[in-house]
Amino acid sequence: MDLITGLLTTAFLAGGVLALAAIGEVLAERVGVVNLGVEGLMAMGALTGIAAVTATHSPVLGFLAALAVGAIFGAVFAFATVMVKANQVLCGLALTLMGTGLAQTIGRSYSGMPAVATFEPIAIPLLSGIPIIGKAFFSQNILIYLIYLILPIGLSYLMFFTRHGMNMRAVGENPAAADAAGISVNKIRFMYVTAGAALAGGAGAYLTLAFVPSWSDGVIAGRGWIAVALVIFAGYRPGMAALSGLLFGLITALGFVGQARGWPIAPAFLSMLPYLGTLGFIIVPVIAWQKMRRAMAAPAALGEPYYRNVR
Amino acid sequence: MAFRVQRLPSSTPMIAFAARVIAVVLALLVTALILAVSGHDPVDLAGQVFSSSLLDSFGLQDLGVIFIPLMLTGLSVAVAQQIGAWNIGAEGQFYAGAFAATAIGLFVPAPEWLGLILMVIGGFAAGAIWILVPTLAKAYADVSELISTLLLNFVAALMVYYVATGPWHDRMTNSATPKVKAEIPEFWGAIHWGFPIAILFAIVLALVLSNTKWGYEVRLSGSNPSAAKYAGIPVRRHLITVMLLSGAIAGFAGMLEVAGTVHRLQGGISNNYGYIGIMVAVLARGSLVGVIFAGAFMAFIQNSGIILQTEGLTTSAVLAMTGLILFLTAIGEELSYYRITRDKV
Repeated sequence: MDLITGLLTTAFLAGGVLALAAIGEVLAERVGVVNLGVEGLMAMGALTGIAAVTATHSPVLGFLAALAVGAIFGAVFAFATVMVKANQVLCGLALTLMGTGLAQTIGRSYSGMPAVATFEPIAIPLLSGIPIIGKAFFSQNILIYLIYLILPIGLSYLMFFTRHGMNMRAVGENPAAADAAGISVNKIRFMYVTAGAALAGGAGAYLTLAFVPSWSDGVIAGRGWIAVALVIFAGYRPGMAALSGLLFGLITALGFVGQARGWPIAPAFLSMLPYLGTLGFIIVPVIAWQKMRRAMAAPAALGEPYYRNVR
Repeated sequence: MAFRVQRLPSSTPMIAFAARVIAVVLALLVTALILAVSGHDPVDLAGQVFSSSLLDSFGLQDLGVIFIPLMLTGLSVAVAQQIGAWNIGAEGQFYAGAFAATAIGLFVPAPEWLGLILMVIGGFAAGAIWILVPTLAKAYADVSELISTLLLNFVAALMVYYVATGPWHDRMTNSATPKVKAEIPEFWGAIHWGFPIAILFAIVLALVLSNTKWGYEVRLSGSNPSAAKYAGIPVRRHLITVMLLSGAIAGFAGMLEVAGTVHRLQGGISNNYGYIGIMVAVLARGSLVGVIFAGAFMAFIQNSGIILQTEGLTTSAVLAMTGLILFLTAIGEELSYYRITRDKV
């Protein structure tokens, strides 16, 4: 029982990073923009989080500052890809290089320093008394509820049950039709790409303020790329993105347990698990779930810039 | 008199080249500005970089040593681009090639010449094997190669770090393997024979792609897959061949790094070469001969970063600047499709 509780506790905590970043990427991809800059945005967010918490001693301010920095970089990316319509793959890779390089350059003075204040776990009365789940889910830091409950439920409602959500999805599926119906394609794309980037920045701060919690050069360690891959696995749905984040948290937790219990596997191989797992998770569903493919398919205009005057 | 801004379906090489020059100059200006704000003298730093890399024989040799892996990873990415695929995994294939070359160099008892030949074969094969799963997934299940190739970079880096500090480590250093027995002879100063071989390789590949039926079919499959399929071209087979070739070239680069420059395997041996190779291919705009010049330019940028380390700057600052160049190049590339014309009244 203790093993399961421990595994789940770590899984919720570790998965939160991926879930938050993946939800952000869902927003961008649903309106038709692939943002491959998540890794760089997370690096900037992680550094901003630690810098702001060092200055203010408030993890909440640190998280908000990371959201803001994510949004600023996201707006620059959105300007290039939505307004100028530059190649999304290249701009995303550029954002990853810029964010990672910049964060490492600025972050040298914060290297190895633990966060002075972190998001502490809070036990919710009554609910935390439930066996297993009570300890694993209802005795966590407050960001966990934002990531696994508020954002997925709120965004699912917004996307699938409101007129605005329908407009938003139309922009990702058929921008020309959306434009003809009077929806401002550029405005919606700009808005959601920026919002998604803000969440990626927040995911970085989650790492340095609630999970690790300190800054080092390789702290993101490919989590941004895993988050991008999870979006495919999650069928471009915020709820599924949160769940797949949790699933990956579980894989990470298994690696931790393995190291703690001295399983006869080198730590390097346990560290490979998330990457190999992700590779499996983007290949296997395509082959195994042929019937689900239409429901889980990518937005039709994903990755394509929209020119009003062409055709 | 009215002006009209038009987006044309294609852009001329001249304008695309000009857009790249402007992007690079802008990125350098922004970097200089940031350096000036943070208390450095950019003109003085630039002077140092030029005098100790271009005007100095040892500096030129350093440049050449960095040029070899960068040009080859750039070639790897550019080759995949010919068929419309993005190989973001050159970093991992580079590691795989270095890994295989070291394994052969350390454990296969053979005379030096035979050892080198085996290492070359091993490097090519390991790079191709490292891209095999993403290739098959793209060819048969239409899984985007962007993320699948990239994820394997982390696996390769962990694998190399593990063997270099674990089972294969040298008792003296603990962080690297012992020296491999076979070495590529020197060509000029510190630059080994990989230098002319890499350039020749790019030229031969460019000739094959522009002058053979195979090359024509590959380029057509890349620019218009459905038309190519309709014309009876085996698009899938070409895709598999070209992607494996792309991986093999990056693996060859890793092999050269071990056998020619570093002589041992260590964690982080790839130095982000795989990622900067993407930048090389983008600057070259998919031209395999252009890769030679773009590779030389990026080698200069990388080398500047190493020179400036004595001034307290880090390699990560160079990574950030590379990102900025890439970002502005992407914008410039798009803008190069636009023309401003004057309406005739």
